Amino acid sequence: MSILTVNHLSVIGKQNRIVKDISLDIHKGEWFALVGQSGSGKSMTAMAIGQLLAPNLQAKGEIWYQEKNLLTLSSSEMRKIRGKHLAYIFQDYQGSFTPFLTIGQHFEEYQRTHLKLSKKARRQQAVEALISVGLYEDIYRRYPFQLSGGQLQRVSISIALLLKPDILIADEPTTALDSVSSFKVLQLLSRLQVETGCAILFIAHDLRHVKKYANRIAVMKEGVIIETGDKNQVLNHPQHAYTDKLIQSSPSLRSRSSLTLEGVSG
Amino acid sequence: MMELVFRKQIKRRWKAAAIYTTMAFVFAVAAYTFLGLKHDPLLVNLAERLLPASLEHPLGTDHLGRDVLTRLLLGTKLTVGYGLLSLLVAVIIGVPFGVISGFKGGLIDRIFMRIADAFLSFPDTIVAIVLSGLLGPGIENLLLAIVVVKWVNYARLVRSTVITERQKDYVTVAKINGVSSFRIMRKHLFPHLIGNVLVLASLDLGKIILLISSLSYIGLGAQPPAPEWGAMLNDARPYFQSNLFLMIYPGLAIGFVVLLSNLFGDYLRDKFDVKKEVES
Repeated sequence: MSILTVNHLSVIGKQNRIVKDISLDIHKGEWFALVGQSGSGKSMTAMAIGQLLAPNLQAKGEIWYQEKNLLTLSSSEMRKIRGKHLAYIFQDYQGSFTPFLTIGQHFEEYQRTHLKLSKKARRQQAVEALISVGLYEDIYRRYPFQLSGGQLQRVSISIALLLKPDILIADEPTTALDSVSSFKVLQLLSRLQVETGCAILFIAHDLRHVKKYANRIAVMKEGVIIETGDKNQVLNHPQHAYTDKLIQSSPSLRSRSSLTLEGVSG
Repeated sequence: MMELVFRKQIKRRWKAAAIYTTMAFVFAVAAYTFLGLKHDPLLVNLAERLLPASLEHPLGTDHLGRDVLTRLLLGTKLTVGYGLLSLLVAVIIGVPFGVISGFKGGLIDRIFMRIADAFLSFPDTIVAIVLSGLLGPGIENLLLAIVVVKWVNYARLVRSTVITERQKDYVTVAKINGVSSFRIMRKHLFPHLIGNVLVLASLDLGKIILLISSLSYIGLGAQPPAPEWGAMLNDARPYFQSNLFLMIYPGLAIGFVVLLSNLFGDYLRDKFDVKKEVES
């Protein structure tokens, strides 16, 4: 059952089309990976879904969510969907937080916009959310610049999933993290996905990030989706030459037994 | 290198010392103004005109026999007070204008900025003179003229800051979280602006005081017998050769206040300017 359907979406800039007539649908509770190199229009697609494009860009086509076309909603209707049903996390964890507000104030603002809770209940909910992503209560009082990148990314995940959205759009959330932190963040995302049952639209330029967790993969090149399909099908039997190249370009270590002193054998 | 650091420290200390001394002085003056004024600043007493300095009149009397010190001190309230008031109004008008213009962008921004350009294309003093000439002389009209001239600077300053900030992800995140535009402007963008606006305002105060005084000097601002410094300068003009000090006192007062507001502005800039912090 698909929860979000994108039909013939195009994003049109002043001079050129950035996203060209793409269609995809995301099923309930699945991990959908959108892969492609930089500039292929992945982020533009993500921004178009939330009506977040810059004013000089225009989106055409249809994006269906709960029998509503997101592209035609007024800004106040859209505001009700964003945050509550549709959440985002971004690559730039540092920039995702207002520098002079504490983590707690970020939670507060979000909760006060969507929930009617007492001050105490809000705080408790926030602290529980922080603990569920492996952080501790103390973080609530901290400012964003006092936390590490991995911690900040966990905080943004905990804020994004606070209201149990139907869809989480993760725009390269691990790209700016070191490999250990990104591994942990991915693990966390997959655990929380199971717990909350939300669908994840995971945007990445590196296939290695999506190999383990994705259910389905779409490959994007120059604004067009050239291949969509089941993870194993795309990874093992790529239909398109470009997909093949992408897979080739991110080699992983062979199994231990094939490593010899001279290098990789076989 | 050592010497350079050392010199910088001395410079900083000198600045701090200057600011503290002047502040102490201002407090002393203010205390004296409220506690020790014995003379009526407006009462004409021709029997005591143009007296030299004495215990009774520490700075002498002017051409109508009024105590100069009293007039000078009460003039602070007029000149500085009105300067601050017009500055405040200019900030209150300019800042929201700039925030909305920068945040909304597009057509609203273009219209707002063309209006601002229209105001900016004439020199401050000329516009102020023309306006207070049209509206008629008087301190209220002068204030209006100053606000009209000054608000544009704040609108432009704020707009440029907002434009750089609104592109950052945290504004997008706030939008995603369903926060309204008004709240984003108030909670996420506004605090960025306070520093810049304070610095510009404190540097502007000196200019505004000069503007008030110079317009009063040519008869467009405060009307006699109000003890405004520019007007006092004008009153003293005919006695330039016999009683030079009648001109020097208000001149010094203006210079002093302008210097003070510039020093304070510099100090604030040092506080808020991140670049400077990294340098030292």
